[in-house]
Amino acid sequence: MIPWRVRQRLVAATLGTVVGLFLLYQWLPLLIMAVLSFTGPEGGTTFPMRGVSLHWYGELFRVQMIDDFKPPMARSVALALACSITTATLSVAAAQAMRARFRGSGVYFYLILLGVMAPGLLVGFGVALLARMFGLGLAWYSSTFAVHIVWTLPFGFLTMLAVFNRFDRRLEEAALTLRATRWTTFWRITFPLVLPGVIGAGLFGFTLSYDEFARSLFATGPEQTLPLVIYAQFDRQLQPTLYAIGTMTTIVSLGAVTVFALLFRLVKRRNRI
Amino acid sequence: MSPLRERAAVSYVLAAPGGLWMLVALVAPTLFIAWVSFWASRTFALSNALTLANYVKFFTRPAYVRVLGDTVEQAIVMMLITGVIGYSIAYFLVVHVRRPAFQLALFLLLVVPFWTSALIRTIAWIPFLGVNGVINQALLLLGIVDRPVEAFLFTRTGITLAQTSFYTLLATGPVVYTLRNIPRSLPEAAQCLHATPLRVFWRIVFPLTLPGVVIGQILVFLNVMADFATAQAIGGHKLAFLGNLVILLYESGQLTFAAVVGVLLMIAMLLGVAVLLKVVDIRRLGAP
Repeated sequence: MIPWRVRQRLVAATLGTVVGLFLLYQWLPLLIMAVLSFTGPEGGTTFPMRGVSLHWYGELFRVQMIDDFKPPMARSVALALACSITTATLSVAAAQAMRARFRGSGVYFYLILLGVMAPGLLVGFGVALLARMFGLGLAWYSSTFAVHIVWTLPFGFLTMLAVFNRFDRRLEEAALTLRATRWTTFWRITFPLVLPGVIGAGLFGFTLSYDEFARSLFATGPEQTLPLVIYAQFDRQLQPTLYAIGTMTTIVSLGAVTVFALLFRLVKRRNRI
Repeated sequence: MSPLRERAAVSYVLAAPGGLWMLVALVAPTLFIAWVSFWASRTFALSNALTLANYVKFFTRPAYVRVLGDTVEQAIVMMLITGVIGYSIAYFLVVHVRRPAFQLALFLLLVVPFWTSALIRTIAWIPFLGVNGVINQALLLLGIVDRPVEAFLFTRTGITLAQTSFYTLLATGPVVYTLRNIPRSLPEAAQCLHATPLRVFWRIVFPLTLPGVVIGQILVFLNVMADFATAQAIGGHKLAFLGNLVILLYESGQLTFAAVVGVLLMIAMLLGVAVLLKVVDIRRLGAP
């Protein structure tokens, strides 16, 4: 029989290999895309590269008739910011409401969670059908915004529920016993303590909306968001421009995560003191 | 009434905006799809007569039924793959990585690609899978094959390869969470009673992580069932799942029939989730 220590090492080595291979599997496509985005003007979409250049990045900033990526990018960022703020606000309100276990809170919980379960494509499809029925136009700032919140709110809501589940109620009770109003108690005691969670909810709102494609597909009017334009271009022809825009949006996403992570740390540190 | 008890009236006011949003932008559109799916006429009018003929049409066409079968099959395959890999990653992260710095580094390395756009990640797979792609070039270089393999791009294998990279972490996250919550004393107690390590795992550790496993499986199931972009991008327009069928029908103006496919997709998803939810109550997650 193999000794216990050796066996544990073997298990660790095997699982470690799985993790290592999986990491490679996750990162290689992205890295290769980034490398290929620097191919020369004559370069194609696979190896071998033909020279090294910034040609395809320059192409992105040249104004063209069909595939100008700048307006859609601005729309996507604006939409993501709006979703971030809305998600944070609505999920704090909804999770705070859930703490009282009001009548119908069980149904309410599933109503919000439905947003994650419902297939995005169909939510957009349904909104498009409804808009058509009522003769309403579709636009990124109205119908797309509405379906994006359906997707982002449950994530913020679950985040806030988890935060409130671990929340020490005695702190609020102490404030109330000292005759603070509910309003003051919430803003002076509760909110600062759950702020890291609120930032998390906002992060979900931003990144999920910024990358959303399935929900936007049917629900967006003629003024399209970035993922839709990328997809349309991809469907027509795969060009290194797409690798360039892919690399750039990846950096934007990572930048957003970093900003939120820094905010998160800042708040955590302040709360400790 | 005690001033410390939460007031129900306030709760309703706080709950209303989110709830109304969901009703207007999610429930109403979904119900409308269901209604449209029964319309007897192709013209877009609320006064349409209702019929079951659209559903009969779906189930009498083998090509459509095959798409339904393919979609469910793909979801099950993906649940198996991501379940095994996802659990392995979670177990390694929680049990075998002791140093917090290493744990954080691994966590970030795993999560960062997960946070990037799914669409971009799909596109990033193309130079990998093609006939001139990285996999083929590597295989040729290593002398494993003497001709490029065409089996990656435009095939189910290619879709599965890409989806594995997209969805595995969905199965990892909840397991990490439940594994962390297991007190070390439990497996140690079992070991003291001379249980073999394998027995400790199957009798103690695995049952305690089961809620996490199930939630991960629900997430993977829902995502794969609803995924059409991977199939469209990597399958070329040759392969279709239910989502692709909805787009195809929508673009050709067959709205009622697109609605039928949509309803069937939702029913399949609801059934799957109902079965998986029998095992755990997700509302208990996060409670101390």
